[in-house]
Amino acid sequence: MGEYLIRRTIQAIVTLFLVTVFTFALIHLAPGGPTQVMIAPGVSPEAFEVQKRNLGLDQPVHIQYLQWMGRLLQGDLGTTFKNNLPVGDILWPTVGNTLVLMIAAWLVTLIIALPWGIYNSTKVYGISDQFASIVSYLGFAMPTFWFGIILQQIFAMNLKWLPLSDMWTYGKQGDIGDLVMHLIMPVTVLSLGFLASYVKYSRASMLEVLDQDYIRTARAKGVKESRVVFRHALRNALIPIVTILGLDLPILVSGAALTESVFNWPGMGRLFVSMANAREYSVLMAIVLVTSVFVILGNLLADILYAVVDPRVQLGRKGGGSK
Amino acid sequence: MAEKVLEIRGLTAGFISDKGLLKAADNISLEIMRGETLCVVGESGSGKSVTSLAIMRLLDYAGGLIVDGEILFKGEDLTTKSQEEMGKIRGNKIAMIFQDPMSALNPVFTVGDQIAETLMIHQGMDRKQAMEEAIKLLGHVGIPAPEIRVKQYPHELSGGMCQRVVIAIALACKPDLLIADEPTTALDVTVQAQILDLLKSLQQEFGMSILLITHDMGVASEVADRIAVMYAGTIVEEGTVFDIFDHPSHPYTQGLLESIPGYETTRGSELYTIKGTIPRLGELPSGCRFHPRCPHATDKCRAMEPGSIQLSDTHRTACWLYQEEAGVKKS
Amino acid sequence: MSENLDQQEITAADSQADLRKPPGPWKIAAGKFVRNPYAMVSVFVLLFFVIVSFCAPFLTPYDPAKIDLKNSNLPPFSDGHLLGTDELGRDILTRLLYSGRISLTIGFSVALASVIIGSVVGAISGYFGGWIDTVLMRFVDVMYSLPTLFLNILVLAIFGDEFIYMILILSFTSWMGVARLVRGNFLQLREMQYVEAARAIGVPNRNIIFKHLLPNSIHPIIVNATLMVGGAILSESALSYLGLGIQAPQTSWGLMLSNAQEFMLTNKWLTVYPGVCILLVVLAVNFIGDGLQQALNPRGKKHPVRRLNEWRKKFSKSAA
Repeated sequence: MGEYLIRRTIQAIVTLFLVTVFTFALIHLAPGGPTQVMIAPGVSPEAFEVQKRNLGLDQPVHIQYLQWMGRLLQGDLGTTFKNNLPVGDILWPTVGNTLVLMIAAWLVTLIIALPWGIYNSTKVYGISDQFASIVSYLGFAMPTFWFGIILQQIFAMNLKWLPLSDMWTYGKQGDIGDLVMHLIMPVTVLSLGFLASYVKYSRASMLEVLDQDYIRTARAKGVKESRVVFRHALRNALIPIVTILGLDLPILVSGAALTESVFNWPGMGRLFVSMANAREYSVLMAIVLVTSVFVILGNLLADILYAVVDPRVQLGRKGGGSK
Repeated sequence: MAEKVLEIRGLTAGFISDKGLLKAADNISLEIMRGETLCVVGESGSGKSVTSLAIMRLLDYAGGLIVDGEILFKGEDLTTKSQEEMGKIRGNKIAMIFQDPMSALNPVFTVGDQIAETLMIHQGMDRKQAMEEAIKLLGHVGIPAPEIRVKQYPHELSGGMCQRVVIAIALACKPDLLIADEPTTALDVTVQAQILDLLKSLQQEFGMSILLITHDMGVASEVADRIAVMYAGTIVEEGTVFDIFDHPSHPYTQGLLESIPGYETTRGSELYTIKGTIPRLGELPSGCRFHPRCPHATDKCRAMEPGSIQLSDTHRTACWLYQEEAGVKKS
Repeated sequence: MSENLDQQEITAADSQADLRKPPGPWKIAAGKFVRNPYAMVSVFVLLFFVIVSFCAPFLTPYDPAKIDLKNSNLPPFSDGHLLGTDELGRDILTRLLYSGRISLTIGFSVALASVIIGSVVGAISGYFGGWIDTVLMRFVDVMYSLPTLFLNILVLAIFGDEFIYMILILSFTSWMGVARLVRGNFLQLREMQYVEAARAIGVPNRNIIFKHLLPNSIHPIIVNATLMVGGAILSESALSYLGLGIQAPQTSWGLMLSNAQEFMLTNKWLTVYPGVCILLVVLAVNFIGDGLQQALNPRGKKHPVRRLNEWRKKFSKSAA
């Protein structure tokens, strides 16, 4: 398992490196080049030159990349045009809020989707299975933000059961009950799309495993059907799901950003959108990098989990996270 | 006379498709005595695997069903039992081993866990006892260093080793009947012989009966006491190993024997093959199911299905060629 | 076990068909597709949306961007305004129709562009293999680990939110699935003897790829492209909703929703119409994709399960 994890870690580092190159290249491809992206518009020509030298933008491209990386590694994400604030000060407080939302949605998805999918795999084409396929068609076709708006209209505006938006009621920061009330709608919205796909995945994965020879062996041993499903089949069916969990992280991050904008959730996604409208490029770059690091770490975690669930990984037979 | 362990009477089993019922096994009757080895021989598609799955009542899970007949195991009819009741018999009184040992073991559990599970279910052992017993069993089926192997996963073992593990699982509760469905087909030739020897010696030790399913007459000749030859869902000939090999009566059996390389032929002569292929279910020919491939087919064969004819106390066949000769009416 | 039987039946059906004049594979697929009610209804729904949105100037007398404050916030079925007007007095039905143009154009262009990018990358990767494959597939991995929405927004923020950039960036972030699919297909196909034969007699690589290999991957590509149309429409609506996609005076369903959310209290129906339009179009496209998949996949035969189960019960000796 050690060798496998080392290989995956190296792959993760390579991917991370490529992401930084990619982001860096994007600034240089922008019309007007990095100066336009990194220096506030409207400064005097003298100030422009000074800033350009400070940022090292007069150096050759590869030196610029190294300097930029050097600053990143020291935790320096740059400053904003407006008020010259350090990007980190704006960014870091939002990260936790986003994580709260994402983890809640993720847990809700798994808690509902896995048992549902497993159940459907034992009752193929039953009522529950057909209902799940309706949910998945809707989940794939409905714009999540629209679903959010509709929920707001029904549960916040008409019924007044739930708070319309934000993370806390003013003055109630830290009250877990208040947080939960604020989480209900965003989590529902964020979960729906994932719910749709994970019910499908877990059902398909279970069906494939239930068709395997070793399941027949288990039955031939006299193992009870419930134990066949939950012990013999489930462990195997979880293996591809773990991989998909890792691969779906970027989609979760994107979905969270959209949900945050609908519900005014003070997270990274909402910050990203508002900074994009204000053209604060340094914040945008920082967020893209931070989320990529997060996604890559998440994938690495999925790989480790994969190695835990599947003993065959020790031989490195199943190396790829991708099919 | 020896005790009948298993008696199958008029078993009809198969699958439902949108074309109707496909009878993979059609009116099969067989019996197995205590301590005896019965080989069911036939090409793929002859219905031998369906028959074995029907006995285990695993056919239900493979999308098939038993339509008619009785399967009497020590006098009890298995066809009317619930799956729960069958759970107490499977792995305990009747055990089964399968064709591909590599895929027959669950990849995420250790070998020891998989053996111990049977013992824990049927013998009420706790985990520790069961693991100790598993080590003994592994040694018994000829696996060296069983205390190390018991903690390993199936992918760490060779195909032959895996089949030994599968046998250990099957024998854990000392069953009365072992059903082996092509147990050596997926293995190398040298390993095949080892596994067959192992089965024979374990049979003598435990005194169990074996129902061995194979397409290979060679395998049957090595282990069988009696042989039943299946073709397109029916048993065309049944007899002791001497009946079948010394006096093969059904043209299909004769064909099977002649197509064994080196069987009563001189070196250098062309290898015999039975022309044509086994018919698909749902497209069975009229009359005798073998007539389109039979060198002796007559109009009668094309029109009517032959009944079973007793050639001797131990030998019966289903072929019109012997009808008059034996003077026995269709049963 | 049941799958084996399936194949048997299919080959049996095939051999019968051989005796008569065999219908081509496309004809068989078309026949299957036409008999799929979901897919056919979806085709009509999609056609309806395409026709009404591209014929919008002939169907409605209003300018979608014309502000008319005297007639603002009219309720549905008002005189001359079937669905009423919004807070600036713009006719909602007109705006829906013109929005459809944008969404559909983006959906289809992005799907087409992604399929082209994905097929080329996948074909090169799968056909040549080796380090080319490694490099391209690592690139695919990188693209997959970037949160697409952020990348889209970043690019639109840097380059400006013009229509064409929107199509380009959406294509650029959605070709990877096709690339992996085509690559996988090619890896199998390039070992085939007819490909080796073609190579041996000196057929140029380009011809092998485009004449021999790509046509063999065409079925999954078509299905994937269809499903991508829906994805692109959803992405466009999300970007426009966030204020980074389509900009006024142009209009799109996503942009309409963004406005509608602000005026939820005064006119709640404003939020319903554009959402329903998106939902219907994407549903239709997805159903068509599913229909194509079932029609093009020879193994994907659907059993009348309920009937089979009834038969099972009737025949089975033991209650299963």
